[in-house]
Amino acid sequence: MGFPGKIKWTAGPAWSLALRYGLALVSVAAALGLARAFAYFHLPQTFAAFALSAIALTFWYAGIAPGIFAAVLSSIVRDYLFEPNTSTESRLLFDLVFLVFALLMTRVARVRNQLELRVAERTAELTRSNDTLKSEIAERTQAEYLTGQVFESSPDTVIIIGTEYRYKRVNPVFARNWGRPAGSMVGMHVAELAGVEFFEQRLRPFLDRCFAGESVRFEDWFDNALGHRFLAVSYSPLRSGSQQVVAALAIARDLTEYTLASEALRHAQSDLAHASRMTTMGELTASLAHEVNQPITAAITGASTCVRWLTRDDPDLGEAREAALGVVRNAKRAADIVNRIRSIAKKGESKRQLADINELTRETIALLRNEANRYSISIRTDLDADLPKVMADSVQVQQVMMNLIMNSIDAMKNVDWTRELSIRSQSAEDRQLMISVSDTGVGLPPQQANQIFDAFFTTKTHGIGMGLRISRSIVESHGGRLWAADNSPRGASFFFTLPIPVETPE
Amino acid sequence: MSSHRDTKFVAIVDDDDSVRFTLQGLLRVAGFSSRAFASAEAFLGSGDQRETACLITDIRMPGMSGLELQARLNAEHCRIPTIFITAHGDEEMRFRALRAGAVEFLPKPFDDEVLIESVRAALDR
Repeated sequence: MGFPGKIKWTAGPAWSLALRYGLALVSVAAALGLARAFAYFHLPQTFAAFALSAIALTFWYAGIAPGIFAAVLSSIVRDYLFEPNTSTESRLLFDLVFLVFALLMTRVARVRNQLELRVAERTAELTRSNDTLKSEIAERTQAEYLTGQVFESSPDTVIIIGTEYRYKRVNPVFARNWGRPAGSMVGMHVAELAGVEFFEQRLRPFLDRCFAGESVRFEDWFDNALGHRFLAVSYSPLRSGSQQVVAALAIARDLTEYTLASEALRHAQSDLAHASRMTTMGELTASLAHEVNQPITAAITGASTCVRWLTRDDPDLGEAREAALGVVRNAKRAADIVNRIRSIAKKGESKRQLADINELTRETIALLRNEANRYSISIRTDLDADLPKVMADSVQVQQVMMNLIMNSIDAMKNVDWTRELSIRSQSAEDRQLMISVSDTGVGLPPQQANQIFDAFFTTKTHGIGMGLRISRSIVESHGGRLWAADNSPRGASFFFTLPIPVETPE
Repeated sequence: MSSHRDTKFVAIVDDDDSVRFTLQGLLRVAGFSSRAFASAEAFLGSGDQRETACLITDIRMPGMSGLELQARLNAEHCRIPTIFITAHGDEEMRFRALRAGAVEFLPKPFDDEVLIESVRAALDR
């Protein structure tokens, strides 16, 4: 029957053994009593029927063993109390009836026990699944509570927009941004808040893409109760069980302050870069003016001298000729300088072409020699004549050199030891060539050697800290590197590399 | 090397070769003898300062500047009438130079007539 061990004999009502066998005795006794009462009133002899009822009762309520006990008891009672004279056959027949009935009832009781066990099992199972459900519901409630908290406590705007473009749910941030109670906004059309034109042109295209299943992000300026705000918005499709998009989850972060700050920073940077160029140009102008002034002075003096030789009482043509030739020479020199300035100051096209780095270096030095002289700085050059040409924007590379040399000059202005600027060009590893500008100035700021390339870092009283930053970006845009190191025994060295093109025409 | 007044000359100190050279030419045509020096140090080292009747000097030069040269000469009690020529002259510099005894302070490029007259005035002192 599949039931374990003793259970089939003891299953049923959880009565004690005495009670169960007691039931057998009592029920058979009751059957006997009823039969006696019937006999007393001369009613038909029906002990067998009562006994069968008693057996059935015992089987049902007390279990199989007491039932069998009741059957045996009934048989004995009938045999010895009621019909002592009955034939053996008829007694055996009755016994047989009791036996068959007892067997039937055994079967019935067993089935009943099995049923009860099954019911008990089912009930236990149901209880278990009920508990599981309960805890699942509790967990889900908790999760929903947390989800709700995310919605309610998010510092960002969180809203759900239905496919009919109406707000399904809005969080307190959104309500605050629009200065309305959250409840009043649910059910509103997006266009009602954002304005029809803004909605149609700036929001709806993104919403429609989201409803088509795409996650979209965009940034825009919105006018809400807080004013003109710059928001970074994301729309994510929310799907129903059937995978159909039923709403959009919109999350918006207010980046107004951040954006304004970074715009201000960008402006400040470009202003400073401009100011830096202006400052450098201003410093250079003074130096260049002097540079041009020398040959012009010489030319004018020469011309005056020439006139004097010609106009004196005893004109001397030979001297006048010499003086005039000097004028030509000096005027040419002035023109050369002007052309050099023009080629450096030339703006516009940032064209890269094959350039002779030594030539660029010499030109730059020529322009700054006077500046160096002004502070009694001697310039030593060591240029490798065999260097190949590089692909470079000459103007930009000269800006870098000018910046490095001007820095070196600044660093040596006030030192009371030998002021020497040395500029070298040489070939370096990995098909690069290297230019170094070394000075005997105050040296790199200790512990800050790397920061000198940061924007706005400066050790100069009037510097704005953009020169090296711009120089480094120019060099890097050419595929080279710019770095600094301490010079021995004192001062600083700046190095930059430029790549040599793969095919270098000689 | 005579200390005779007629043999005194005009000293030119300027680091720019062409300016120095053309100045000498101008002085020659005006009838002055001159000696040119590429730096203040070269002039001081020449030992010629005692025979110098007039000094024409640039102010900004590598090494010693024209103003330093003037101060050094003053300190040596060697007061030479000095004409400064400079491309970078500002009022403060001009004031300093004149207070230290300069006879003239000329911006480059200068007028030849003004320079010649200044030299003449310096020699007549």
